[in-house]
Amino acid sequence: MNNQNRRLFLKLTAAGLAAAGMPALSYGAGFPERTIKVFIPTRAGGGADRNFRNFGGVWKDYLGVELEPSFYPGAAGRVGYETYMGKAEDDCHDLIFGNMGPEVLNWVVKKPNFSLDDYFYFLMVDADPGCVFISEKSSMKTLDDVVAEGKKRTLTVATSRLAHPASLGMLVLANKTGMKVNLIPLSGGKNTRNGVLTGEVDLGVLPVTTAMGRKGIKVLGLFDERNLVPEDAPGAVLINTEYKLGIPPLAAGARAFGIKTAAAEKYPDRFDKLRETGMKVFTDPAYKEAVTKGKGSWALIAPGGIAECRKYVDNITALGQEYRGLLTG
Amino acid sequence: MALDFGVFVSLFVDTLDYWWIIIPATLLGILVGAIPGFSAANTIIILLPLTLSMEPATGMIFMVALYTASRLGAGIPAILVNIPGTAGAAATPLDGYPMAVAGRGQQALAISFTASVAAGLITTVAALILIPWLSQVAFHLHSVEMIVVMLFGISLIATISAGDTIKGLIAGFFGLMIGYIGADVVYEAPRGTFGFLELYDKVPLIPALVGLFAISEAFVVIERNTILSEQGAVKQQHAGWGPTFEGIRDTLVHWKEVVWTSLLGLVIGVIPGAGAAIASFVAYQQSRILSKTPELYGTGHVPGLIAPESANNGVTSGTLIPLLIIGVPGGATAAIMAVVLEYHGVAFGPDLFDSQPMIAYGSFTAMLITYILLGLMILPLTRYFSHVMVVPTVYMAPILIAFTLVGSFVPRAYVFDMGVAIVFGVIGYIARRTGYHVAAILIGVILGPLLENYFLRALRISQGDLTVLFSSAIGNTLWVLLLLSLLAPGLKRYLGRLKSAKTNATK
Repeated sequence: MNNQNRRLFLKLTAAGLAAAGMPALSYGAGFPERTIKVFIPTRAGGGADRNFRNFGGVWKDYLGVELEPSFYPGAAGRVGYETYMGKAEDDCHDLIFGNMGPEVLNWVVKKPNFSLDDYFYFLMVDADPGCVFISEKSSMKTLDDVVAEGKKRTLTVATSRLAHPASLGMLVLANKTGMKVNLIPLSGGKNTRNGVLTGEVDLGVLPVTTAMGRKGIKVLGLFDERNLVPEDAPGAVLINTEYKLGIPPLAAGARAFGIKTAAAEKYPDRFDKLRETGMKVFTDPAYKEAVTKGKGSWALIAPGGIAECRKYVDNITALGQEYRGLLTG
Repeated sequence: MALDFGVFVSLFVDTLDYWWIIIPATLLGILVGAIPGFSAANTIIILLPLTLSMEPATGMIFMVALYTASRLGAGIPAILVNIPGTAGAAATPLDGYPMAVAGRGQQALAISFTASVAAGLITTVAALILIPWLSQVAFHLHSVEMIVVMLFGISLIATISAGDTIKGLIAGFFGLMIGYIGADVVYEAPRGTFGFLELYDKVPLIPALVGLFAISEAFVVIERNTILSEQGAVKQQHAGWGPTFEGIRDTLVHWKEVVWTSLLGLVIGVIPGAGAAIASFVAYQQSRILSKTPELYGTGHVPGLIAPESANNGVTSGTLIPLLIIGVPGGATAAIMAVVLEYHGVAFGPDLFDSQPMIAYGSFTAMLITYILLGLMILPLTRYFSHVMVVPTVYMAPILIAFTLVGSFVPRAYVFDMGVAIVFGVIGYIARRTGYHVAAILIGVILGPLLENYFLRALRISQGDLTVLFSSAIGNTLWVLLLLSLLAPGLKRYLGRLKSAKTNATK
């Protein structure tokens, strides 16, 4: 084979390989090349962990690799996000899975060390409305009782964190009705429930899945316009409409996968694969089975893409800005 | 919910059918307890995929056996090499390690194991009998009461530094200051983090613990040939089975100490957010105050070892009670257990004892079986474990440092935490060389954040009104008891002097 022929052979071979590989390459062929690392900015064993396991357990079949969670709790999620932005590779193999509401409110209260444009959410998993709940032993039996009592004295209200959508809901309700509330941050859903159950505080606010169906707890109202969990929160008042709060449905738990903007821009094909395979999980019966088996509520699973995540983030940020003074020291 | 004896026996026999899961869980528990950093909670989290795939009763029995055994295992390095692997064992070396240095390591291990097993058995049976009442404790102990409970523990700083009060208080306040590093519990505002993100979630406990105790100890022992004193080395060489039996006998002689400190642990275990560290510090402090020979504490005194070991094993059964009855986990490990049970759709509450007795009562019968198994398995090993002490320090010190650095890394997987351990090791070394008590620093580090948490919560609830601290009957009773326990040593000395003066006068 002379030089000319050899060059022709090599060119044709390269062109043939490129042509054969093009459709696949355009859809992130060869991606993922390794395990997808998922940064979770809360402790292992919590709600985000459970949701991630349910979703990731099915998503891995579509991606062909495992999704490995790493937990970075601390300072209301700030540690996890700062770590993600500092350590994650820009190659679409590193994602973050967080609860958009409280974590975005964090940035309202105190800006992070990175630019907020450097990451975005692209795959919303659920929309868990905020709720008001009391102990069954409480003398207050309805939300009207709570409002009436709150006009007589300052009520202590347990919440996971001050900068939390559920806390915002309570502040808006207090603002509209003239009741007086004192938010008591108890660091996490379990502690918030415990505070109410043991009678240390008058009532609590949390994402409804963290409160409903628990022994000794009664959900009085939802910061929503419809009750998607009537069996677990029977008789819960739809606070937004009933008390004319003038706010959009307030999902206190809105878990979503996020990614570094640089990664999505650098590898659009890979990012598309993540988005498209992620959306397929919602229609997979195995996911529904995992959610219901884990005592989750399928009705609250809310598939959403970039636009839905953006809308949620904007709504919460606007409301957070309005009440910023009450959420900070 | 009251348990019939016949039903109990039948459940006990049924639980024996789970031997195939109890035995490996027990062995694993001893191992993870003995390795600093590998707590039961961490291990159960790592093994979540396994436990989630098990039947709920099997999973629960596995977790309970692992948890129980890890509590006992944590005492081994605390006694032999001054490394409390978990915060719950932080008070164990106060008297355990001096015994080991004096060549009584085998005896100390036997005391620790016997006290742990006895306390575990006593409190598990007590828990089964007292479930309806103990489940109500959480309803009566809120932030205000917990502030006083924390102060009981913190007052140990003054107690253990009786030799040099000023230095003791400086060390204690230094520990409290370190404990306040990190984001505050109300506004999540970082304080004293020096810009380190890794310190936002407070100073990591395990690296601080192993640094203060183990790494500083390694620096100290490297200056000698062995950990053992000269007399201790001779004693250790000639030790047969005698010290094991001596240890068992010592514990049985102090049976009252075992009973009351274990029951104290049970009650503290029931309180959500409290835990083995608080229980062991409070038990040690109270044991010293009530003792006729308080000056012997800290020198290798038997009751000083029995008290924390009994109390931290008493916590084990206590922590399960609020979880099973009201769905409120008593501690971190119980919280992980809750995740597993919730995953299987188990509904907590008194009904659980009727609907799924193998989970509810089975947890306690599994605990009983684990303790019996531990007693049979581990006591004969005391003789062999104690030989660790004769390893020359040129080998021992690097091994200690390597193990502790790995242990520091494990809980959060941050390399930063290994640096924290070394920094605390240096602080501990300086403290030891200048006569400051490292345990006093550690008490501040462990209990400081908890005290702050309860204090800020109480103040926030009362909207800044300090009189809230004296607003509850139980709280006020606890304040009086705290005051009495602080005044007791001085009062005892005064009465003693008065008595001897009277005797002299009559002569």
